[in-house]
Amino acid sequence: MKKNAVEDQAVERIVVQAFGELTGRKGKPVRYAMMADTPVGTLGLAAGEAGLCRLEYTKDEDRFLERLLGAFSGPVLRSDALDPALRALERYFEGKHLSFDDVRVDLSSLPEFARKVLRETARIPAGRWLSYSQVAAKAGNARASRAAGNALHHNPVAIIVPCHRVLRSDGSLGGYGGGTSNKEWLLQHEGATLL
Amino acid sequence: MATKGYGAQFTRDAISRTPFPGVIPIVTNTNRVAELLGAHGIELARHLRRMVRDDDVAQDLLQDTLLRAHRALTRLGPGANERAWLYRIATNAALNYLRDKARERRAMELHARERDADEGGHANTDGAESRLALWQRVADLPERQRVALTLRIADELEYDEIAERMGCTEAAARANVYQATKKLRLGGLP
Repeated sequence: MKKNAVEDQAVERIVVQAFGELTGRKGKPVRYAMMADTPVGTLGLAAGEAGLCRLEYTKDEDRFLERLLGAFSGPVLRSDALDPALRALERYFEGKHLSFDDVRVDLSSLPEFARKVLRETARIPAGRWLSYSQVAAKAGNARASRAAGNALHHNPVAIIVPCHRVLRSDGSLGGYGGGTSNKEWLLQHEGATLL
Repeated sequence: MATKGYGAQFTRDAISRTPFPGVIPIVTNTNRVAELLGAHGIELARHLRRMVRDDDVAQDLLQDTLLRAHRALTRLGPGANERAWLYRIATNAALNYLRDKARERRAMELHARERDADEGGHANTDGAESRLALWQRVADLPERQRVALTLRIADELEYDEIAERMGCTEAAARANVYQATKKLRLGGLP
């Protein structure tokens, strides 16, 4: 289909207004996209004006959309606007480019310590890992490894904020929201040396 | 607004304060409508906008489509191909609108011709008239041909994309578009 930016804007405006009229959902839209059949299963992505705010493991689109409608009060719509993030993920899974420097992430809805933990986590390069207490220390509180673990467990932007690169001090995997087998797959894909 | 759409009168607020005692309010599950709108809104709005070429009308028809589809899908239960239903309803809504518009325009032109005849001139018809006339003939096609053809010419979709939206095979999409264009040509189109 041939498209252009002016048409895209007009089309989105129509849908946003229809959302307001039909469902009472008003304000800035959250756009989403699906990525099915990745090596770690089906992923759902969502972004607001400030950047990517969700990357979740999910069963299917219905389930993900339901979650987004529960989490956000405005219009939620499937959109091509997330294509750059999808391409970055494709490159990642193909092993061509393992970092996501060009994907803007929005963590502004999180409490400060969680945001710090995730920001430090985002600095861990592919192929490396840190322990929960190391990340807690970098975030400013070495004794808060449990809180750090909690923040990582609730990471809203999986893979791109690489919470899978945080393990137990003894090198064992620890938990993972997307399942430990996926955590292991991601680490091995990135060439990390696991103990 | 120029259309006779139903969008505005079924908003959530309107439903919650139905003023007519004894009239059963239309129960609309706004979450379900939000799901349909979220998953399919962009592509449907594009489809409608390309057909009617007016943002306000497209929005009105989109809302109408969502509410009708919501009712149909509630009746049909799970397993119905919601995307195909939405496209059917949207296409029919747009064609109805265009047919009414063509009728209105013809009435206006008749009026103008009569006036011009009185003044000794003659009215001119423009490209919009033939476009509306074409849509009117599309509206007379069988439903599957109608939907397939509008996706092909208004949305400029490939056959596999049409098949996806209509929930049919690519061969069926191709056959529907072929039959439709054949019928329109038989009617004397270039």
